[in-house]
Amino acid sequence: MEFIKNGKRIDKRLPNELRPIKFEVGALERADGSCYVEHGGNKVMAAVYGPRAVHPRHMQEANRAIIRYRYNMASFSVEERRRPGPDRRSIEISKVSREAIDPVIIKEFYPRSTIDVFVEILQADAGTRSAGINAASVALADAGVPMRGLIASCAVGKVDDTVVLDLVKEEDNFGQADMPVAMDVRTGEISLLQMDGHFTLEEFEEALQLGKEGCTTIAEMQREALVQKYQGEGHE
Amino acid sequence: MKKQEMMDKTIVVPGDLLSNEAARAAEGTYVEDEKVYALIYGLLDSRDRIRVIPLSGKYLPVVGDIVIGLVTDISFSNWKIDISSPYEALMHISEYPRRIDSSEMSKIMGVGDLAIFKVIDVDKSMKVELAPKEGQLRVLRSGRIIEVSYTKVPRVIGRAGSMISLLKSKLDVNIFVGKNGRIWINGKAEDEELAIKVIKRIEREAHTSGLTDRITTFLEEEKHGVY
Amino acid sequence: MSDVIAEIRKDYIYGLAKRQERADGRALDEYRPIQVETALIEKAEGSARVKIGNTQVLVGIKLQPGEPFLDSPDMGVIITNVELVPLASPTFEPGPPNENAIELARVVDRGVRESGAIDLSQLTLPDGKVWLVFIDVHVLDHDGNLMDASALGALAALLTAKTPAERYGYGPDAPLPIKEYPVAVTAVDLDGEIMLDPSLDEEMIASSRITVISGAQGALAGMQKAGTGTLSSEEISRIVKLATSKATQIRDDVLGGLING
Repeated sequence: MEFIKNGKRIDKRLPNELRPIKFEVGALERADGSCYVEHGGNKVMAAVYGPRAVHPRHMQEANRAIIRYRYNMASFSVEERRRPGPDRRSIEISKVSREAIDPVIIKEFYPRSTIDVFVEILQADAGTRSAGINAASVALADAGVPMRGLIASCAVGKVDDTVVLDLVKEEDNFGQADMPVAMDVRTGEISLLQMDGHFTLEEFEEALQLGKEGCTTIAEMQREALVQKYQGEGHE
Repeated sequence: MKKQEMMDKTIVVPGDLLSNEAARAAEGTYVEDEKVYALIYGLLDSRDRIRVIPLSGKYLPVVGDIVIGLVTDISFSNWKIDISSPYEALMHISEYPRRIDSSEMSKIMGVGDLAIFKVIDVDKSMKVELAPKEGQLRVLRSGRIIEVSYTKVPRVIGRAGSMISLLKSKLDVNIFVGKNGRIWINGKAEDEELAIKVIKRIEREAHTSGLTDRITTFLEEEKHGVY
Repeated sequence: MSDVIAEIRKDYIYGLAKRQERADGRALDEYRPIQVETALIEKAEGSARVKIGNTQVLVGIKLQPGEPFLDSPDMGVIITNVELVPLASPTFEPGPPNENAIELARVVDRGVRESGAIDLSQLTLPDGKVWLVFIDVHVLDHDGNLMDASALGALAALLTAKTPAERYGYGPDAPLPIKEYPVAVTAVDLDGEIMLDPSLDEEMIASSRITVISGAQGALAGMQKAGTGTLSSEEISRIVKLATSKATQIRDDVLGGLING
């Protein structure tokens, strides 16, 4: 399979170009904070509940809030219907996603409580964990959770020996490498890093840099979506 | 809106750099390397000190707060009370103004009852204790209850209580605003309805300027439109 | 989160009911605004997002070739599942479907199946296999009356679904053979007053809730009474009449474009 022709990828993007991304803040009524994201073909809803009481009680921490994160795929989100409920993949993704958002959240304000993040993948098209983290980060802000900054995430990879940003399904499935990253936008520090495939050390450095640039661009969109929620309302 | 009004209503998000003057940092911000950053999503107020006014979030009780609580359970010597917070509060039987037996507790205040309380203790692990407000237990047995985000309470009350005074002067209602965002409204049915409409509008537009003027006009129009 | 509802809130809703009024100003037989958006999920063979007021569900239809049931080798198979994911309500918890999710799925399933909405005899495949039709309801925001939103979502999604025949080498894709249009209408009883499309508060307070599913021909296809209260036979008859005429109205107003299109 040929992935790059005349410098363009199979969906006509440049190697360093993101897919179209759209954020909608406060998409749900019941949740304390929420965000709907479309990222290429991905459609993702995130909701935050809390801080709220922890059940079961033994999970409580005496001096801080705990963070729980549930990444879940709708059964119709993929080509072949998926059996509902968590599998090993979604349990791992939930864990690394939780660890990706955890560093910026101020937990000491809310002893004995939990901040619950729920991410539902309604349609999957490569990069769902990143889209989920991007939505979750905005939903956390929307819920009024104190954070040192936003977290943004995207994947980088390699196809036809070229480092590319934000893989689509085919690039993900048949490419040479896939590396999702998440970044604390304010400090530039990395809070999620996974990789599978084959990178030379030089390619890895290039990919990491490209991933950080992607996260920076996404962070601007996250910020803009949050600002937009309150702009234009009530202004006569 | 006028430009000046927009200027002091900037929306900020967590991590936004707000200032290089660490000494001016106040609530809703944090300082790192002498720089002030936004800690929460909200409105920037930098007229005096630099603070971020939240637009959402959960109520955290503070000693002295007056709140409206909902009784959710009665144990041997405590009422368990929901105060719209991550933390359940307790009122001990001994806080009741006169000496009672635990068998009388549910008659005085049963599950599902709302009452006005004062927060008398909050410990490090957020165990919250309540007492009746001003030594006299007030159970709310009629009227309406609505909930707004606690962050909107200052706007609902208005500067020096101006918004509530406005509502009370134009409408035949009694209003009590709990610090936790629960609001009790009691009076003539139509006026209760209109008061709720106004409060919901204040909640929606809490982040905008010139709110008092708009609400005054709105109230006049509604009153004349309705009757 | 506590499930306790303030007594004065209950009193208020009951007080209004006595005067034939509701907290959100609706008439007793009036629905909240209904919005149906189809084909949101391109990866599904059919999909629909339904909003009834703030209640929001997303339904996806997936089709796969599979083995028929032994006792009906010439019929396609319907499998309905509901996920009450914890994103949708502070009272929902992660885990396998609980009794509420299973009840919801089974009632939606009964409506589609018993009304004959899908002509299952047309879902056979040349190699002895049949189409398995998966109806998956994903609840996104629970603000009362999930039953009607889910059933409406299922029908709207089925109406837009196409068999993925080409992908499996069975010739060109084709729309599903839809023969009937079952619509669910749910009522609650508050002190003898019947209200359609209960809000969350009304649903929590009411001791009885009843869902009536009827087809375009006016025939009943499914019913479910829930809650610990009882209803008189007169009340039930009244609800059934009210529900079938409301179903006709919803079918025409909300699904008209999809049915005729």
